[in-house]
Amino acid sequence: MILGLFRKEDRLQEALHRLREAGVGPLETYTPAPLEDEPALSPVPIIILVAGLLGAAASLALQTYSYTIAWPFPIGGRPQFAWASFVPTVFENAVLVAIVAGFIAFLAVNRMPRLYDPIDEADAMREVSRDGWVVAIRGKDGNQARRILETLHPDLIEEIAE
Amino acid sequence: MAGMSASAHPVVDPHETIGSMTDRVSAVPLDRRSWLWWWIALAVSGTLLFFGVIGALWAFFVGIKAWGNDWPVMWGFPILAYVWWIAIASGGTFVSAFFFLVRVEWRTSINRIAETMTLAAAACAGIYPILHLGRPYFAYWLFPYPNTMTLWPQWKSPLLWDFMALFTYVVASILFWYLGLMPDLATMRDQAKSRFAQVLYGFFAMGFRGSGTQWRHLKATYGVMAAIMAPLVVSVHSVVGLDFAGGATPGWHSTEYPPFFVFGALWSGLATVTLLVLVFRNLLGIATIITERHIQVLAKLLLTSSLLMSYAYIMDAFEPFYSGEQALRTQFLSRIEGPYAFVYWGMIALNCVFPLVLCVRVARASHLVIALVSIGSIVGMWLERFNIVEMSLMRTRLPSAWGHYVPTIWDWVIFGGTLGLFATIFLLLLRVAPMVSMYEMRELLRERNQS
Repeated sequence: MILGLFRKEDRLQEALHRLREAGVGPLETYTPAPLEDEPALSPVPIIILVAGLLGAAASLALQTYSYTIAWPFPIGGRPQFAWASFVPTVFENAVLVAIVAGFIAFLAVNRMPRLYDPIDEADAMREVSRDGWVVAIRGKDGNQARRILETLHPDLIEEIAE
Repeated sequence: MAGMSASAHPVVDPHETIGSMTDRVSAVPLDRRSWLWWWIALAVSGTLLFFGVIGALWAFFVGIKAWGNDWPVMWGFPILAYVWWIAIASGGTFVSAFFFLVRVEWRTSINRIAETMTLAAAACAGIYPILHLGRPYFAYWLFPYPNTMTLWPQWKSPLLWDFMALFTYVVASILFWYLGLMPDLATMRDQAKSRFAQVLYGFFAMGFRGSGTQWRHLKATYGVMAAIMAPLVVSVHSVVGLDFAGGATPGWHSTEYPPFFVFGALWSGLATVTLLVLVFRNLLGIATIITERHIQVLAKLLLTSSLLMSYAYIMDAFEPFYSGEQALRTQFLSRIEGPYAFVYWGMIALNCVFPLVLCVRVARASHLVIALVSIGSIVGMWLERFNIVEMSLMRTRLPSAWGHYVPTIWDWVIFGGTLGLFATIFLLLLRVAPMVSMYEMRELLRERNQS
């Protein structure tokens, strides 16, 4: 795996453009902030939506069951299935399930927690969380990637075992 | 006009760069010197907390008769303080979720302080209902768990809705705060010099490395969570309002209550955020990141939310007379000229009249005035809660059920204890977590450089 470190975001963007044109890769970036103009494609929002709807359904089902089947409690002929009074609890339960599911899904899609990764061996990674913009190139065509990277004059080039 | 004030007060100091901002913010938790002000503040808050714990233990031992709660005023300080705290907590979520969704640039650097404040205040709010149960070891009865008595919670009661809302709010606030903190914990891990700090921050950063994949999922997740947190915080305080509106007591039984309570949450929550910002921007050396611009925006928001409060109070005074109900009129008149009239008028003075000083530009330029208005808001909202909770119960429909309420020393000790708990949590988090969202600041600085 070859890593190139840049001190400026636009220089990383330029490098990404050139490397993608050359078709080397797969590429991964490591940056202090989300890169600009990257589409936020992720399955997490759908997972949150589905979890929220399931949470709402489960909450409604539990409340309905407890009043109509488990413990019917007739008072003055009022309806047992008083759905309107279930609404606040349905909403709160749905939000709880959605947020917890979203957090877990975020970790799962990123395969986190992962406290060690081979890429941590690279010195360039020490800069990433401050002001270093890194591109990492995996794959077999390492020599070609290195040649292209060198023409872009990164502040540091590193090669580490994958 | 907006453009002019923006150029007069930049949202971040022009000399600040991505690197210097990161160093400045991460230096606060990593500073290994001991800060005198911090130890003094911790000593004070720890003392308050210590006595609060003693007070809570005493209340567990003798029961809630230790407090001033007595017929007909069975909702004393614990409910008052619970509502007061949860309102303050909501202010942080208003800043972190609402103003995230509307993409205002001044939200970025105060968001972490606001959210941390939310966590500390929500903790204080969360313990009060449990103390108020009298038999706190039965708190789990609120959960719909399978039990041999085949008992169920009362789903139709606003008090149960409130438990559900508070539980959801506390869990969601912690997760939302932690998700936004993760990239910054990764920065702390890489900036830390000592092995202990590296391992500690590395553990809590969970392996966040700023990879393109991680950012992509983080942005998507954070955005959706913010969109859920915004209606959640409105629902939480609306449900707190329903706790009262659901009771037939004169002074409570009003459809106005849910929005009225949300206004109050906005007002006291923003005031607490403003106060913390004013105090800590200099103490933490981040005045180049939290600039005059933020303080001016907060001052104008304070004025706006105070006007919302005034509207609610006008409606509150209008209703008893418009409805033509004797009990409501008696109730309202006892507030404005009864034994606790100073509470009502203090509330009007601090929540409606004094904040009007912020209409004047010269007053807004003074941090002291803004701080005094904020303190006034926090005190004024406490008086409002006293006015709502205690004074409504003192004058119900029949004179046979009228009574008086006086808090005991234990009420005050426990209340002081929650002030200590709030300050202790905030001071401890201040020393371990970065108090500005660094990765969002980097995006802000990039936008500034491009413009």
